[in-house]
Formats: sequence, C-alpha cells, structure tokens
Amino acid sequence: MIKILGVSKKYNSGYTLDNINLEIKAGEFVSLVGQSGTGKTTLVKLIIAEEKPSSGRIVIGGWDITKIEPYEIPYLRRQIGVVFQDFKLLPKKTVYENVSFALETCGCSTDKIKQTVPQVLKIVNLENKMDRYPKQLSGGEQQRVVIARSLVHKPKLLIADEPTGNLDSINSREIIDLLVKINQIGTTVLLVTHNRDIVNSLKKRVIAIENGKIISDQERGRYLL
Amino acid sequence: MFFLDLYRTVKFAGQNFWRNWLLTVGTTSIITLALLSVSALLIFNLISMHLIEVVQSKTEIYIDVTKDAQQTQVDYLVEELAKLPDVSQVKFINADDALTKFKERNQGNELLLSSLAVLEQNPFAGSLMVKVKDLNDMPSLLAELGKDEYKTILEIDNSEFYQTRDLINNIAKYTEQIRKIGFGLSIFFIIIAGIVVFNTIQMGIYAHREEIGIMKLVGASNWFIRTPFFLQGIMYSLFSMFIILLLIFPLVSWLQPYFDQFFGDYSTNLVQLLMNNFLFVFGIEIIVAIFITFIASTLAMRRYLKI
Repeated sequence: MIKILGVSKKYNSGYTLDNINLEIKAGEFVSLVGQSGTGKTTLVKLIIAEEKPSSGRIVIGGWDITKIEPYEIPYLRRQIGVVFQDFKLLPKKTVYENVSFALETCGCSTDKIKQTVPQVLKIVNLENKMDRYPKQLSGGEQQRVVIARSLVHKPKLLIADEPTGNLDSINSREIIDLLVKINQIGTTVLLVTHNRDIVNSLKKRVIAIENGKIISDQERGRYLL
Repeated sequence: MFFLDLYRTVKFAGQNFWRNWLLTVGTTSIITLALLSVSALLIFNLISMHLIEVVQSKTEIYIDVTKDAQQTQVDYLVEELAKLPDVSQVKFINADDALTKFKERNQGNELLLSSLAVLEQNPFAGSLMVKVKDLNDMPSLLAELGKDEYKTILEIDNSEFYQTRDLINNIAKYTEQIRKIGFGLSIFFIIIAGIVVFNTIQMGIYAHREEIGIMKLVGASNWFIRTPFFLQGIMYSLFSMFIILLLIFPLVSWLQPYFDQFFGDYSTNLVQLLMNNFLFVFGIEIIVAIFITFIASTLAMRRYLKI
C-alpha cells in the first residue's frame, strides 16, 4: 500500500526525517508513535503530497508520488482519507454538506451523493444530526464528521493524525473503535498518535520515530518510548 | 460533468455570499462607495460633455460679405459650405439683419456703436452665419475661408474675425483641458477604488484560508476552489450595482433644483441625461467592478492556494 524508500526531509533548521524506510501493506492497522516534534506529521504531509521529500521515494498503491505534478495532487487526495486533531471542518456548511462536499469536488452525481452520504453518516452514528453546523456538535461528534468525510470516497488508506488529541477519554475510545471498525472492512489505517493507552490497547503494528528516525517497528507492539 | 461542477461552484459561491453576511455587507459597502465615486465622476463627465455641446451649439461666427459680392456668388458659397461635413448650419443674413445682429453682439462697446451711428448708411453688405459641429473644426474652416479665391466675396480680414477665431481657439483649448483633467481624475478614482476593493477582497479570502486548505485536503482541484471565489466577487459587484441603481436616481433628482439654479439656461434633466447614457455609465461601472474583483481574487488566490 505505502512504500517509503530512503526518505529524508530537510528544512533550514536541519533534518526532520532522516532516511526513513518502511512499508505498510494493504489492510494493515499501523500506529506511528513518537513524541512531539519527532517528524510524525511531516511524514503524513509527505504521504498526502503537502510536502515533497528532500531525497528518497514514496510510492502509494503503485503510484510514485515523489515528483507528483500539482494538477495530480487532487486525484491522490481523493484516494486517501485524512483525519486531523483540529477537525478541519467547514464551519459554514452543515454536517451533510461537509461530507457531501468531498464527493462534489470530484464530480460525483447528485443521486450518488444523496445515496452515499446518509450511509456514511449512519456508520459514524450521526444520521440524526445531518442538518447541524459543526459548532452545534461536541468534539467527538465533529471528529466523527471528519471520519465520515474521509470515508465517503471509499479510500484505500485512512490517515488519522492525532485524532483524539482534542477529545476526552470516552470520545477518544469511540473514535479509535470506529477506526478499528473501518480497518476491519478493508481500509488500511495509519494512526499517528502519542497516546500510550490507546496504542497499547490496540495490540497492532507500532512504528516508533525519534529524532526523525525509525527506532522500532513491531508487529504487535506497545508504546515503548 | 462541466455543468455539474459549474452548478456546484455557483452554489458554493451563493452559500458563502449569504452565510458570511458580515463579510458580504463589508465588501459590498466598500465596492458601493467606490462605484458611487466612479458614478459621480461619470455623471460629472456627462454634464461637462453636455455643457460643451450646449456651448458649441450656441457658438456661431459671422463673416461679412464684401460690397462687390454678387448674390449668386453668395448663394453658391452657402450651398458649398452646407455640404462640408464639419458644418452644421450656414445662413446668409442680409444687410439690415447683419446690422441689427452686429449691434446686438456689441451692445457693451459704446465707442463702436457711436462710430456706427456717425455713418449715415449701413456699412454692411450682409453676413454669413456659420455653425460647426465640433469647435475644433472651426480654425481649419476659417483658414479655408481665408483663401484668396474667396477674397472678392468675403471680408474676413477684420478684427471681429480674429476675435472670433481667438475665442473659438480658447474654448477649444479649455474644452480639451477639461477633458484631460476629467480623464485623469477618472483614472485616479478608479485606481483608488481598485486598491480599496482589492484589500477588502484579499482580507475576505484571507479569512477563508483555512477553508481553502480543507478543500485542497479533500481533493478539490484548483479550478474548483478558485471559481466560487471569483463568482463571489462577481456577486459582490452585482449586488453593489443593484444598490447603486437604487441610490443614484433619487440622488440626482435631489440634486436637480441646485443644478438648475447653478447652470440656469445651460441646465438639463439629470435623470434623463443618466437614462440616455444608461449603458455607458452602468456598463463602465460593472466592467470596472468585475475587473477589480477578478484581479483581486486572482492575486489573493494565487497566494493562498499554496497551502
């Protein structure tokens, strides 16, 4: 699914990522852990082509995106669902519109949208709050809208960058359960977090990064940092 | 596919327009004020053009006919002059009428009138009254009439001719200067309005930078992101134009009595003047408004699409 081959990312201040090599297979659930500022989010930015690597190659689903052209980026992002800590919802759009928007951008027909969006909102248990605006929802509900939006394309890969960072423990658990459920239906999930309890409870593959380098990669790992 | 995308971008632009009502009110207010100043300037131009037209239509010169001129020669000259494209009217005034007109024109000149009274007979053989369509054409017409072939018919080597020629030259010069100043002021106002509107729209797009980032995140193409902002800019322009149309006619009606009082016989119906030039005034304004919002959106989007 994802092949990262000798990737480094250097800013003026120095290397944020240094010679990263890793492979994530289709259908895997991988937790990427590490303390703040170790390069986890930079790696996510490289995968969604928000940044370009200084050296090395990145291949996603057989597509080498190392030197991706700007006009190709929207097509890549339609194949990757992304969930962020700060939700990134459009405040002036309703729940339904926030989710349908992702389909409208890629020219999906109105009938298809009307059919798909309620289905996805049902998966995240928000079918009764479709007409609400983000500010009328709790943090957990907002994050579920984001997950619904990232799922509506039926992506092969879902990246969740600190999805529970702004949530209490109950809402965090619900979000992680939802990610596990999504993984069980075949979507590859890359969870970026520094939440020890969540990582340890998952009992899935854990990759640890420190100072821009991978320091451990375990099949059924624990948060060891 | 294209029409579906277009429909959606129009929908998003409409949603942004109504839901961000505070930004809409702010931006349209600025554009309306800018357009109001452009309107004032265009109306000023229309009024000055009207005044120039009135002055031109009232400007006529009288050229004396010599005593030796035969009536057939004069008639032929009148016919020939009337054929010229620059000439709007040519009339022969007989000796008695020429004397009356001369006295009218020189009412304030006591010396000239008393000298005339000393003469026992009418010194005039008749005059040609010539009106031109454009004041600028007058000097060349006079130069034409001053040619040797007309010397036996026309007596134009006199002070009245030079006075008239100088007056016409001066009017033509001032008219051109007023036009140049008006044009310069127009450009100045449009630039000022452009800068103000540009800043307002840029601030509006800056407020949407997070939204633009999210749109890119979910895979929206640049075209799909840009278009609603362009359309929103056009909506601001159209909405501002609508407000201008609501304001401008009551405003000029209110100004009409003051205008009449100031210009007297030279006055005109301002609403009628505006209606007669509706496409000119509001066409220019809508083009200016859309041009400004388009440029402002393009420059601002180029910056924030880099997210």
